[in-house]
Amino acid sequence: MNRLRGMGVVLAAAALMLTGCNANPANPGSSSQSAPPTKGGTLTILTSQTEISFDPAKSQSLAITSLGLVNRRLTTWEVAPNQPAQVVPDLATDTGTESDGGKTWTYTLKDNLKYADGTPITTTDIKYGLERSFAPELSGGLGYHKSLLAGADSYKGPYSGDQLASIQTPDQKTIVFKLNTPYGDWPWIASMPAFSPVPKAKDNPNTYGQKPEASGPYQVQSYTQGVSLNLSRNPSWDPATDSVRTAGPDQINFKLSQDTTVAAQSLIADSGEAKNSFGAQFVPAAQLAQAQSNPNVKDRLATSGPGALSYLAFNTQRGALKDVKVRRALEYAADRQAYLVAAGGTIAGEPATTLITPGIPGREPYDLYPAEPSGDPAKAKEMLAAAGHANDLNLTLVVANDSSTLAQAQALQQGFAKAGVKITLKPLDANTVTASVTGNDTNYDLYLGSWQPDFPSPNANIQPLFDSRQIGGGNYNISRYSNPEVDALIKKATGTVDPAESAKLWATADKMIMQDAPVIPLTYTKNSFLRGSNVRNFFIGAFPAYPNYLKVTLAQ
Amino acid sequence: MRVARFLGGRLIGMIIVLLIITFITYAIFYVLPSNPAQLSCGRPCTPDRLAQAKTFMGYDHPWWQQFLQYTRGIFFGRTFGAGPAAIDCSAPCFGYSFRLSTPVTQLILDRIPVTFSIAIGAAILWLVLGVSTGVISALRRGTAIDRLLMSISMAGVSAPAYLVGLLGILLFGFTLNMVPIGGYVPLTESPVDWLWHLILPWCVLAFINAAIYTRLTRGQMLEVMTEDYIRTARAKGLSETRTIGRHALRNVLIPVATVFGLDLGGLLGGAVITEKVFSMQGLGALLLDAVGNLDLPVIVGVTLFSAFVIILANFVVDVSYGVLDPRARTGTR
Repeated sequence: MNRLRGMGVVLAAAALMLTGCNANPANPGSSSQSAPPTKGGTLTILTSQTEISFDPAKSQSLAITSLGLVNRRLTTWEVAPNQPAQVVPDLATDTGTESDGGKTWTYTLKDNLKYADGTPITTTDIKYGLERSFAPELSGGLGYHKSLLAGADSYKGPYSGDQLASIQTPDQKTIVFKLNTPYGDWPWIASMPAFSPVPKAKDNPNTYGQKPEASGPYQVQSYTQGVSLNLSRNPSWDPATDSVRTAGPDQINFKLSQDTTVAAQSLIADSGEAKNSFGAQFVPAAQLAQAQSNPNVKDRLATSGPGALSYLAFNTQRGALKDVKVRRALEYAADRQAYLVAAGGTIAGEPATTLITPGIPGREPYDLYPAEPSGDPAKAKEMLAAAGHANDLNLTLVVANDSSTLAQAQALQQGFAKAGVKITLKPLDANTVTASVTGNDTNYDLYLGSWQPDFPSPNANIQPLFDSRQIGGGNYNISRYSNPEVDALIKKATGTVDPAESAKLWATADKMIMQDAPVIPLTYTKNSFLRGSNVRNFFIGAFPAYPNYLKVTLAQ
Repeated sequence: MRVARFLGGRLIGMIIVLLIITFITYAIFYVLPSNPAQLSCGRPCTPDRLAQAKTFMGYDHPWWQQFLQYTRGIFFGRTFGAGPAAIDCSAPCFGYSFRLSTPVTQLILDRIPVTFSIAIGAAILWLVLGVSTGVISALRRGTAIDRLLMSISMAGVSAPAYLVGLLGILLFGFTLNMVPIGGYVPLTESPVDWLWHLILPWCVLAFINAAIYTRLTRGQMLEVMTEDYIRTARAKGLSETRTIGRHALRNVLIPVATVFGLDLGGLLGGAVITEKVFSMQGLGALLLDAVGNLDLPVIVGVTLFSAFVIILANFVVDVSYGVLDPRARTGTR
């Protein structure tokens, strides 16, 4: 999958550039001195992104990063150190009231909600904000709601004068969503960028992303594409209505297009402006090693707990891989140890066996194919012989052509060779890899990638990767895995509103899918970030494996 | 009349070359198995939404039709979508970047000051540095100075820009704290800061490029100094400075000008690696970013612009032959 866009939710194996060193993880979870939130100062965020659009319709940003500072949504995420992420009310008074068995969801807005210019925020604006996300002019954002809202299949946005009937606003404080199927995780969906209010009168789809109407504690002060984005306080934001944003710094400046190596170096050097800065990208391998070996810097390194799943996908609709016996045999041949070394050692991840990732509520650990971390090639060989493929397997692995991904692929290649399986690497440009495996071209056997869910529900771990409706057409069922029983279970779990009950169903689905072995779970990856010495409350929760921008403060 | 015909012919040739380049860029892009609309489809994507995005962006036609639409847009402008949300890209429309919500023409104009500041400053520096060290080397052939200059230039020729840039930042930015570690300040905002931010990139580029000029000038100079007319000049009793300055250097500069024109033209089209290392947002950074994001209109637009600048630089070099070498003036033979 391609490079991380919009603060990255789909991670490329390419993005996991943590090659290098031995070394122990520095306090997994956080590098924060948890300090009482202080006000004031100018925080600088160094990012390699060349553009940030604050248009909620076009954004794939996580609730706790850049957009969350400016645009509030109906619900949002409470992310704290060493705790699972929770969905909490943001503009709404609660996370949603369901009726009609999970097909109808109703929200009421809090009192005293205002935009930066003092006009009140209404549910009409939220409805309008959602409607415009359907316009082809504004495509590109997280669009889970688009396939869930009733009658939205052919809807093309408000610019042609049409409204979407399945979003109703009986009054200015109430909004009702009618879904085409029961959906228990709707409260999470309502935390996505498109659920931010957009006043129709202020909407110019071509420029709205540069200066949106702010509902959060900050507003866009200035933006120079490719260079900088400066946020200043929103005078109308009322902290009494907001439980998740501490709004510490007076000013937040994003420095765009920063070379990751140079940015990490300046954070390590920690002089001048760098003291009040943090890096939005993973620390590159060389600087990670440097940071870990220097006690003054190590404290300022935040390493996430095990997060995104990196995996090897089998194309289950091609050649010998159609045979589940072959796929099961190959599960034993994976050398996770070598893979992890190539990925950067223990600070870069830990071995994985399940599809639901740690930090997601409802995960049940299990291992259907128990073996040493370096695999069990003898057993794999035996099982392959039994399946009639003792020595004739020659599989093509499509892989992004950057050096770290290639090194990881080669580590796996050598492991499979021990089981008598020949793997031919086909390195391609990262975008080309994504386009080909998510498209309708089926000309590959194996794919190496990684997946971080868009919201912390097992649903987001499993449905995009294993629902048969997600094969091709730009979607991520890269194994092209289709099992009607699994589809039915996904549908049932999706429609179950009670979290405990749906978690059980997802855990069952997790195991049921792994019985068919459409992928080899390799590692749960860890990300490391650096901060300057004045930055406080800089931590990474159990999910997502990114720092929480909403709570960062500066020492005063 | 002759001059007008010469210029007219060159202009037509230039337009043809640019059209061919546009055509080839389009063709190459579509041979790759990539789908730019897919990056704007959002997640999760559905075939319907993908088709909508494709239609809106104009990617639903065969590539040659898209090429024709693009070429038409340059002369007559284009409109994407319809109704109140339609995007109007007026002529000369070199495409519209949906990712950045900006017309490509605007993007290029925004980036020109950065790239030109880097390129022109660096080019002056390396030309002066390269030619003077080349002359010194040639005149002091075989001495320790010659060997030293040649070794340094060998290092410059073989060093990758990325490495030299990073080492420069590490040494002068972090360790010595003498210059900023990156970024660009517009000349109009603060001339001093502008200069301050550009010194290191200029030096890095000059170090790498001057080497070629040193070697070229040295070689030419050695050859020219054995020519009959130099001996004649000396025999006439001209001072050594005058002999070298007026007679030798003038002939040395002809091949140097040719290479300089091409190098400067290439750099004006974007100093990709230098811009990246120094976090400067010039044309090179724009192109690199566009390639990574399959932003076709930007790729074609910047490629066209770079080609235009190189062709223009060549043209200027051709004209400058006339100044440097009277024999090359049209009509005189």
